[in-house]
Order: sequence, then C-alpha cells, then structure tokens
Amino acid sequence: MAGEAVRQAFRLLLAHKLRSTLTMFGIVWGTASVIFLVGWGEGSAAKIEWGFFKAGRNMGEVWAGKVSEEFTPAVDRRYLWYTLHDVEVLRRRARVPDLIGAEAWEYLPAVHGSRALTVDVRGLDPEAIEIRGVPIAAGRQISRSDLEHRRRVAVLGDDTRRNLLGPGGRVGDWIRIAGKPFRVVGFLERVGTQLSRDRLEIDDHVWIPITTLQASWPSWWTDEPVVTKILYRIPDRRLLDASQREVRAILAGELGVGADDVEAVGIWSSLKMLNQLPLEQTAGLLFVLAATTLLIGGIGVLNMMLDGVHERRQEIGVRLAVGARRRDIVAQFFVETFAICLAGGLIGATLGILACLGLARLPFPELVPVPTLRPGILLLALGVLTGVGTASGVIPAWRASRIDPALTLRME
Amino acid sequence: MAASPVIELDSIHKRYDTEEFAVHALRGIDLCIARGELVAIMGPSGSGKTTLMEILGCLSRPSSGRYRLAGRDVSEIDADGLARLRGEEIGFVFQSFNLLPRLSVLENVELPLSYRGVPRGLRRERARRALERVGLEHRWRHRPNEISGGERQRVAIARALVNDPSLLLADEPTGNLDTTTGNEILSLLRGAHDEGNTVVVVTHDPRIGEVAPRQLLIRDGRIHEDRGGA
Repeated sequence: MAGEAVRQAFRLLLAHKLRSTLTMFGIVWGTASVIFLVGWGEGSAAKIEWGFFKAGRNMGEVWAGKVSEEFTPAVDRRYLWYTLHDVEVLRRRARVPDLIGAEAWEYLPAVHGSRALTVDVRGLDPEAIEIRGVPIAAGRQISRSDLEHRRRVAVLGDDTRRNLLGPGGRVGDWIRIAGKPFRVVGFLERVGTQLSRDRLEIDDHVWIPITTLQASWPSWWTDEPVVTKILYRIPDRRLLDASQREVRAILAGELGVGADDVEAVGIWSSLKMLNQLPLEQTAGLLFVLAATTLLIGGIGVLNMMLDGVHERRQEIGVRLAVGARRRDIVAQFFVETFAICLAGGLIGATLGILACLGLARLPFPELVPVPTLRPGILLLALGVLTGVGTASGVIPAWRASRIDPALTLRME
Repeated sequence: MAASPVIELDSIHKRYDTEEFAVHALRGIDLCIARGELVAIMGPSGSGKTTLMEILGCLSRPSSGRYRLAGRDVSEIDADGLARLRGEEIGFVFQSFNLLPRLSVLENVELPLSYRGVPRGLRRERARRALERVGLEHRWRHRPNEISGGERQRVAIARALVNDPSLLLADEPTGNLDTTTGNEILSLLRGAHDEGNTVVVVTHDPRIGEVAPRQLLIRDGRIHEDRGGA
C-alpha cells in the first residue's frame, strides 16, 4: 500500500505540473538561499578572522615602552626592556594565557651567493613559534636544543626563500646574516596577506633561535639578553581584557613601574580589532535575510498546498465515497506533499552547496570569502520548508476528510 | 418475495443548522427496501431526495432515527467503519460522474478495490471485467476528459459495480446526459437490477419512473407516495 501511495503521488505530481513546479520553486529557492547566505556570512567572518590570525591565533603582543609622564618627569622617562627572566616570571605567575613566548628582532643584511637583501630576522623560542602557528613547508622547525646550543640555524619565510635563495634554494643551504654563517634547516609555508602584522609580514622573515640572536647581536644599551616582544595566547577571546590586566600587572612589577602604566607595558592584540568589527552583526543580518527568505518560501509553499487541497476537495469526497478512510486520505496527501517538498529541498540544498563551492573556486580567494557549509543550517532549511510544506498539505486534507463526505461532494 | 431488507429506515430526520438558518431536510422517513429491488426516488428540487440518498449511502448521518443497512445499525459504526461499509456494500453513481481526472479509466474503476487492499493483479482483473460489463474495455487507458459524457457515466457505473455492492445508489445519473445516452445508462442500471443488485435511483427523469417497479415520491422531507412497493 505504501509503494502504491508513492507511485500515485508521483503520477499526481506529474499531472499537476505547474503547481508542483511552483511549489518546488519556492522550496528550492528558500533552501538554496538559506544555505548560501548563511554560508557566505560565516565564510566572510571566518575569512576576516583568518586574516587577522595569520600572525598568530588569539595572540597578545607585549612591548616594553617608556615610563609614562604621569609617573615621572618628562626628562627622566627611562627606556624599558624585557629579558628572558621576565618571560620566566610571567610564565610562572600568569594564569589567563595558556602559552607565553619570547621574540627578539633585528633588521639585518643577508647574503646567499650573489644575492643580498635586508631581512627581518626574528629570534624566537619554541613557545613563540607555537603561538605564531605557521606550518613548516620543508625541513624542520627551530628546536629547544637549537636554543640551548645557540645554533646558527635559520628557517626562512616564503618570500625570503625565493628572493634570497632563488629557484634552486633547498634545505641545507648556507646563508650569511650580517656576516655570520647560518644553515637553512627549514622553510615556512606561505602565509599570504596578513590583516595584522608587526614590521614585515611573516613571508619576509628569517627565523632563528632567540638565544642565537641575543648572543650574536647584543643590545646596544644593556648587557642583558633583550626580549623585544612577549607573545602570549589565550584559550578564549573573551579573556582578552582579563589577560591584559594580568600580564600588565605582572610585568609592571618586574619593571618597577605602575601597574596600570599602559605606556610602559604596551599590549596589542588583533582580537581587539576583530572584536570591534561588526562580524556577528553581519552574520546575524544575513541570517535574518535567510530566515525571511525561508519564511517567504514557506508561505508560498503553504499557499500552493492550501490551494491544491481546496481544488481537490471533490477528489477527497469521491475517495471517501468509494471507501477511503480518513487516514488513507491523510496518508495520500502526506506522501504527495512530502515527496514534493523533499525533492524541492534536496534540489535547493544541492544548488546552495554548488553555489558555495562555485564561489570557493573563483580565482580570487583573497577577495571573495569561501562560504562555510554547515550541516546544521542545511538540515534547518530542509526541515523547516519540508515541515511547513508537508503540514500545509496534510492539515487541510485532514480537515477536509473530517467533515461528512456528502458536504465535500456537494461543494463544486 | 420475502427477501431480507437491505435498507430499513425508521423515522429518519435530517436538519442542517447553519449560522443564518436551519433546514429541516428530512422530517421522518420510514422506508424498507428489500434485496434485489429497483426503486426510483422522485420529487421536486429541495424535497430532500438528495439528502435521503446521502444518508442511504452513509455519506452523512441522520440527525435522528435509525438506519439499518444489510442488518447493521449504521449509527453504531464509526467513521472508518462507515468508510469500509461504503467501500464494500455501496456503489455510487453521481450526476456529475465524479471520476478522478488525473487517473485513467481503469484506475478510476480500481479505486474502491484499492482501499479494500485487493492485490494489484486481482484489482486490474476485476476492474477490466467491470469495464466489459459496461462495454468500455477498449477505453481503459483513457483519461476521463478524453471520453464522452455517456462513457464517463458508464465508467462510473463500472466503478460502482466493481465491488459487487449490496446497494447501487445513483443520484440523477442521466441528469447531465442527452436522451440517447441517458437511455443507455438506464438500461445498464436495469441490467444491474436484473442481475440481482439492489438499485436505488434518485431522479426527476420520468423515464426512470416508468422503468422502476417501485417509485417513492418525496415532498417536503416526507414520503408522499410509495407506488408499487411490496
């Protein structure tokens, strides 16, 4: 009987071609646009976030500045700097960040054969490398043992590799940085345009062990090994303010400055900018747009179905007269409307997914965000429209089958 | 002939209550129709004859009174039971044919069987035989809108007879047809009667009155005259 109902349903759908097509169009359109719009909204947000996080995800960057005028006469503002000891203290005492790393930098001339250029040399410790989070394309990353032995090893950013080593460059090549020989042990993967950066982009970096940098190019104004920048990572972006307060308080204690001296302990995070962007609002707007589309699609489907059932009251009457029970009528309309709604939904979902994938394949990924496909949204769109459509087909049929068949038959 | 009654009506009333007015369509009908009878129910428009037919066909329930169909008290049967009763015991022929336009002639005839769960092959077989009975076996593939009015009514008769019902109910079966095709329909109904079916025809076509051995005249919701009854 079920197979029979399905077979009949499809025959009837074919018979009511125009109505079926229009109904299906509403569902197709609704499903497709919801999937596309929501996917696009999320993709845009993800893309911007990704751009900001290229230099490090959920990262805070801490500088040492000068004691601000509020705390000391202007003529007496002393310069401040961090050492590896400060980093150790911070690691011991800070609770909010889950990872803390040290970074030092110099602009230095680098030479390979006949090629020479000035590069952004970064000395990092393994924690800083982990926070930066750039994958290795070839060779290996700088290790803790490199730091212990102050090895002259270097990992090159993608542009540095090309500009300094040229097309024949490989892991194991030797370069000179400010006259000192370094062995290239690895290459970073290409990072691309960063929405947030300090000095040069990572693709133009040369990474070496921070201890090697400190030993090779000591600070001009102190014998202590200087840490230019402390990087830290927080497990959740909502912890940004808390982390800034905590880190500043600890480092201010170390430097002997006021606990809220923002000039002495400068902290910057791309999260701050990210939090200021209306990403959630944009995604929310697109969601509202999508929901409206869904609603309009739903109303269209509802209208079609109600109309269809009204037109077919006589049919319901005839079927009741020849022995159909109420549940036979309801089952018939259920199968019919469910089939049409599900078919429309699946076509719409396919179109929506294809639109998302198509956009992802456009040749300018830097400009066009790649839509995010979320199974939840897909199921929601499918479920709402199929549900509304089926209900709007079944409920009036159920009501029409509830009154005396005589009345249904008399209405013409 | 003292055949057992197919229909027993005992002071049947039917009122329609709408918001604006109430209609007292049937005002106490007592009626007994035996198995194998051919009865014409006649009367002017608004006399209540269509309402009577709807009640006989279990398409609506009386407001009061008792109706026994083939020995069973209809008021004690629920909606699903009535549906089964209609499917098994009653065949309908309507003035406007009431074929389903999207189904083929054969599928229309099969319809009552499909709701009784008769397997597909057997259904097809019986529907074909019913079509042969009305002389339309060659039309089985067509859609109702591809055949003439008279042919449509013959399909409807085939559909009504496919279940071998206890009762064949026809409501103005010739009302939408010209004289010649009307006569064809009449002879089909008579043929069904001759084969032993109980046939009740609601009509104001006097020719049917002439053909039917028993005629009931309805006026103002009551049986005004019962001619030729047992």
